[in-house]
Amino acid sequence: MDPLQLGTYSFSSRLLLGTGKFGSARAMLDAVRSSGTQLVTVALRRFNREQAEDDLFGPLSEIGGITLMPNTSGAATAKEAVRAAHISRELSGSPFIKVEIHPNPHHLMPDPIETYEACRILASEGFLVMPYIPADPVLAKRLEDVGCTSVMPLGSAIGSGQGLSTAAMVSIIIRESGIPVIVDAGLRSPSEACAAMEMGCEAVLVNSAVAVARDPAAMAAAFARAVEAGRQARTAGIMPKSGTAVATSPLTSFLGSAT
Amino acid sequence: MPMIKITLNGQAREIAGGSSVAELLALSGADRQQVAVVVNEQIVRPEERKARILEENDQVDVLVFAGGG
Repeated sequence: MDPLQLGTYSFSSRLLLGTGKFGSARAMLDAVRSSGTQLVTVALRRFNREQAEDDLFGPLSEIGGITLMPNTSGAATAKEAVRAAHISRELSGSPFIKVEIHPNPHHLMPDPIETYEACRILASEGFLVMPYIPADPVLAKRLEDVGCTSVMPLGSAIGSGQGLSTAAMVSIIIRESGIPVIVDAGLRSPSEACAAMEMGCEAVLVNSAVAVARDPAAMAAAFARAVEAGRQARTAGIMPKSGTAVATSPLTSFLGSAT
Repeated sequence: MPMIKITLNGQAREIAGGSSVAELLALSGADRQQVAVVVNEQIVRPEERKARILEENDQVDVLVFAGGG
């Protein structure tokens, strides 16, 4: 598979994996390994010595070949997201930041105004900014203009498993975009990830679908294959649709004429 | 040394006056892993933690990476 280029970074995997919601750190680490992912999201949390398993930095570093993409989850404003990004960079040493600003816990829809402002500031500070956004082609273009590395429109609400309900809008974003488009949120099954890649997404970000599977490591592997298949199909050139049948076998009527 | 009151991760706490950020981390069991430290909204880098002495009413946050999407 051709590599995914994000800023100066190059990744052989086009599957980005979130690390939330797993039953245990061990299950998450097994899924990271079997997915082959090289870009993994994490979230800042206050240290608690009673919950040492919370700390994923050490275990993820040990896997090797993993770049961290901290998110700004918990931020309700641009100011809070910028602060979270600064702290995250200090901890991760990674220039990637997933800007995620959703003030309403009931639907978790991203706030486009605060997201735009945070991205503008963080891109000017040299971050590789990857915003989680509504599937809005105008916003996506504005974020490209302020120097985002990628835009990550949602397929559907976070954790909903409603799939690529925004497909028509994501198609427009892909057509217009000069930066990689990555579908983030809502994907439920590998076939949906494959469809997103066939549409022309440069990568997909999956979390819940893997984390809540009965066998997360196996599901992570299934997503990895689907993403690869979708990418390969996209680059191979998917045939155009036709309104009528187009025969694949010769229609010479030799059978009927042998009388 | 008299004790001083600080806030650590949102909870009130008393520590010996003159304690450094590095000492607070050791006392809290947070010195064996990679953590980010923020004192009064300012990031305190690892190389600054021994020299940074905590003062009365300092707001200290110690952060790690947990699972997130």
